[in-house]
Amino acid sequence: MKQSIFNLDTRTVVAIGIGAALYGLLNWVSIPVAPQTGLRPAIAILTVFGALFGPIVGFLSGAIGHIVFDLSSGTIWWSWVLGSAISGLGMGLVFMSKSFSIKEGRATGGNIATLAIVGSLALIVGFGISSVLDIYLFGEAPDKMLLQFIAASLSNITVHVILGVGAVLGLLKMNRSNSNLKVSK
Amino acid sequence: MSKAGMLYIERDTLFHRLDGAVKLIMLLAWTVIVFLFQDIRVFIVLFIIGLVLLMSAQLPWKRIRLLVWVIIVFNIFNSIFTILVSPAYGSEVNGTTTVLIDLGYEVLTLETVFYILTLSMKYMSLMPISILFVYTTHPTRFAGSLNRLGVPYKIAYAFNIAFRYIPDLKKDFISISHAMQARGVGLARGEGTLIQRMKHFAAIAIPLVQSSLARIDTVANAMDLRGFGKNAKRTWYSSSPWGRADIGIVIVCVIVLAVSITVRVQGFGTFWYPFNS
Amino acid sequence: MAESILSFNQFSFQYSSLAEPTLHDICLDIYPGEKILIAGPSGSGKSTLAHCINGLIPFAHKGKISGDYTLKGCCPAEQSIFEISRSVGTILQDQDSQFIGLTVDEDVAFAFENDCVAPEEMKPRVARALSMVDMQEHMNQSPHELSGGQKQRVSLAGVMSMEVDILLFDEPLANLDPASGKHAMKLIDDIHRDSGKTVIIIEHRIEDVLEQPIDRIVVMAEGRIVAVGTPDEILSSNVMQENGLREPLYISALKYAGCGLTPDAQPSSLEKLSDNEQVRRALGEWIEVSDNSPHEHEPVPLAELQDVRFAYGEGTEVIKGVSLKIGAGERIALLGNNGAGKTTLSQLLTGMVTPTSGDILLNGESIRQWSIRRLGEQIGYVMQNPNHMITQTMIRDEVGLALRIQGVPQAEITAKVEEVLRICGLYSYRDWPVSALSYGQKKRVTIASIMVTEPKLIIVDEPTAGQDFKHYTQFMDFLSRLAERGVSLLFITHDMHLALEYTERAAVLCNGEIIASGSTASVLTDTEIMKRANLKETSLSMLSRSTAVATPEALVRHFIQYEKRKKQVSEHE
Ligand SMILES: Nc1ncnc2c1ncn2[C@@H]1O[C@H](COP(=O)(O)OP(=O)(O)OP(=O)(O)O)[C@@H](O)[C@H]1O
Ligand SMILES: Nc1ncnc2c1ncn2[C@@H]1O[C@H](COP(=O)(O)OP(=O)(O)OP(=O)(O)O)[C@@H](O)[C@H]1O
Ligand SMILES: [Mg+2]
Ligand SMILES: [Mg+2]
Repeated sequence: MKQSIFNLDTRTVVAIGIGAALYGLLNWVSIPVAPQTGLRPAIAILTVFGALFGPIVGFLSGAIGHIVFDLSSGTIWWSWVLGSAISGLGMGLVFMSKSFSIKEGRATGGNIATLAIVGSLALIVGFGISSVLDIYLFGEAPDKMLLQFIAASLSNITVHVILGVGAVLGLLKMNRSNSNLKVSK
Repeated sequence: MSKAGMLYIERDTLFHRLDGAVKLIMLLAWTVIVFLFQDIRVFIVLFIIGLVLLMSAQLPWKRIRLLVWVIIVFNIFNSIFTILVSPAYGSEVNGTTTVLIDLGYEVLTLETVFYILTLSMKYMSLMPISILFVYTTHPTRFAGSLNRLGVPYKIAYAFNIAFRYIPDLKKDFISISHAMQARGVGLARGEGTLIQRMKHFAAIAIPLVQSSLARIDTVANAMDLRGFGKNAKRTWYSSSPWGRADIGIVIVCVIVLAVSITVRVQGFGTFWYPFNS
Repeated sequence: MAESILSFNQFSFQYSSLAEPTLHDICLDIYPGEKILIAGPSGSGKSTLAHCINGLIPFAHKGKISGDYTLKGCCPAEQSIFEISRSVGTILQDQDSQFIGLTVDEDVAFAFENDCVAPEEMKPRVARALSMVDMQEHMNQSPHELSGGQKQRVSLAGVMSMEVDILLFDEPLANLDPASGKHAMKLIDDIHRDSGKTVIIIEHRIEDVLEQPIDRIVVMAEGRIVAVGTPDEILSSNVMQENGLREPLYISALKYAGCGLTPDAQPSSLEKLSDNEQVRRALGEWIEVSDNSPHEHEPVPLAELQDVRFAYGEGTEVIKGVSLKIGAGERIALLGNNGAGKTTLSQLLTGMVTPTSGDILLNGESIRQWSIRRLGEQIGYVMQNPNHMITQTMIRDEVGLALRIQGVPQAEITAKVEEVLRICGLYSYRDWPVSALSYGQKKRVTIASIMVTEPKLIIVDEPTAGQDFKHYTQFMDFLSRLAERGVSLLFITHDMHLALEYTERAAVLCNGEIIASGSTASVLTDTEIMKRANLKETSLSMLSRSTAVATPEALVRHFIQYEKRKKQVSEHE
């Protein structure tokens, strides 16, 4: 049985906190592929935590993780905090499906496709909103933002699909083998 | 990076004594004001005020210089990138064109150069206050401050957990990577193709995530056993009542914010270009 | 007798992911103010029982419950975990996870905050709790700046400040050095006496727990309670031995010597026993059997540290000029107090950190420029915390990882992996995921994963933490056999008897300096050294002193050889 996503029990609070810590920490890692953009493995944390704990945890660990990262690097970029949060929320949507439960090792092919596609869309929408906000709040040049946005989206989606969805598949497999265990002689 | 990944430096100044919530209000008001305007004069004033405040907090330059450099380098790259992609954007904004160099695919205009200066100054004017906040607020006060500003305490507490576990995770990351290398997994720095590097990264990150997931359960158990979440409210060990300085600063923030919004609504503060004829 | 505070009646529990119950037919009554020790082999269900008491079962771990369990006359499963937490205060097995606050004082205050105590009122209460465990000057420190022992004290302060009736400790001594362990037990005893709370302790280090008075011992095996009784009753029977547990050493010695122990002789008190004339005589006769002293010869050096110094970042020096030789085929114990730098020293040896000055030689060659990977082929390191080493999901894959990377053929990998799994007592779990194992079992997985790579030097950080006697004897014996084939072994341990039994040489580290190095038996009888490094005499040497039948060295040596012969005999059968 799954609990309601709005029920913030202790486990959920801890999941948000630890998800945020992982996201914040891994944000320091970036494998450069183009100027000002890199493959950010941290994105995969949003995939995993969203899929495991749902949209609320995805949203909040994205937001808090981003703020925590920014706090240790000097300036809080509110627009990008929102982008991370929305991406996390999108990754969590698949959690609402009845046939999907990582804890019990259950998922249909459709669930995985949903995770990959909805997650990618969430990355586009989330960081799209960040880019638009940068144009309005900071007065950044739209052409430049568009270029940056496309490069970032491509690399984020790559990480999400390969690393993030890959990790979710791994967890599913692990939890499937984690039931009905017997001591064999 | 000492305490829990945040950069707190112990001192006894007005800023250190202010309540975290007050500093957060100040940071938010400051950020909103910066967002409202696009006028380099405003940013220069803010930047100077910020620097004065930063001085008053007596933070050692040695410790903050890295962050200052990060922001400066960011500005340089951002400017270069903007010039390359949109060399005539300033003219678009201002409606005039003063050609400086012909880049072939586009012309670079004086308006753009001034626009870039304004944009850089905008980013710079956020720097002192952010640094001030980051270095004078102890992470233990952060969650309590958020709760005081109306954020539900469970969400505020998630910040505490994040601060608590970042140093642990950092240590785990290093241990796991060492353990893997000792057993023969090659993880040479900066070598190999992109795919190989992603693979190596995943080889460390996956166990890290797995152990973190296991940790969620044990930490939640420990918190449950000590009564987390049993009441609709909770108190904070590190919080203290607001003093006169705290209240004074909140009032100043509200007034300045109100004035800024009024001025902006009247039409002042859009892109300012001094060479308009 | 008074009304029981905790009562189990034909209670069983099955984790939802397992096919069979973990606890069977538990019948147990615990009365207010009692002090109970729960002992049992690793994986016998002790922590599971503890989780039933504190409400984590059924509130956090799901599974099937049958039978009755009442706490203060009510059925806890019908309450909430918060109501239970008003009666039961728990110290969990995992120290790092239960440190919740960002700083020491905040962690102690955590329960008060949840109870909405006003900050002004909280401060003096926190200060009082911290002064009780002697941690006031560390008030503002973060958990990663504390040693294991210090963290343990903070947890104690945390639960002590809660007003509960029952205190539950799950392995409070694991990772503590002997002196700190003794201190912790004393602290628990003081609380018990002053407040009259019911205390339940789960621990593998039975001898250390029994240094303070205990009312009853509960022995568990395979999910059942196999014996309940006063320490005198349990110790005079053979129930511990039969279930693969280590009795207090002096008790074993007396049993080997053929003294029939009865509860009337009060075997739980070493003093009482040593005054017993019959005991002295039997012991004296047993030890008469002569034995040969170990022959010493200078082995070929394998690794050598030369005046090594090291500091983490800009911090103070942690290793202050250490010189140490490790010979081929030598078995060495590295001893020392919590925070002395033992783990750091092994990280230096394995290239995980580089010395700030000094040099480390392997076969006469400096390893400064070597990569961790290259060193890993020669030096195998089993880390203190198994969770830092485990990277694969399945046990089989984890143990075979290094072989797979080397490109060993699959059939050979399978054979080798199964062989070491057998040695480590994990063969019947070979197809399990690592995540379903208890802490002690995980540690054995990491030992197995290093054994398969056949390095020249194996370093094991805390081999016995969370292990029961039977299992550690198994893999320690195997490791010792490797030493006969020329593999060097370095054991980092807080268990003095383990050092005596399995090593010829010991080095004592104290605050970053080697303060003693020599034959294990001589180092461990030097009281001055022991005191400085927070070590403790074993009860065997105490027995020899108080009965005056032999020197401590002679008794210890005789005891070890006797056990070795006994083992050989039982292997032949
Ligand atoms: N969360 C869990 N899910 C499934 N099985 C579990 C869980 N926790 C423990 N077990 C199983 O229950 C058995 C008993 O575990 P438990 O932790 O109670 O042992 P223990 O006596 O405390 O051992 P140790 O001394 O090593 O801590 C083990 O075989 C383990 O596989
Ligand atoms: N990563 C680190 N950064 C800073 N200081 C550290 C770090 N790791 C250990 N220390 C400090 O170095 C000292 C030695 O630590 P080490 O872990 O080597 O001790 P130990 O002898 O293994 O102790 P224990 O018996 O508790 O395991 C301690 O004072 C500890 O606080
Ligand atoms: Mg246990
Ligand atoms: Mg250690």
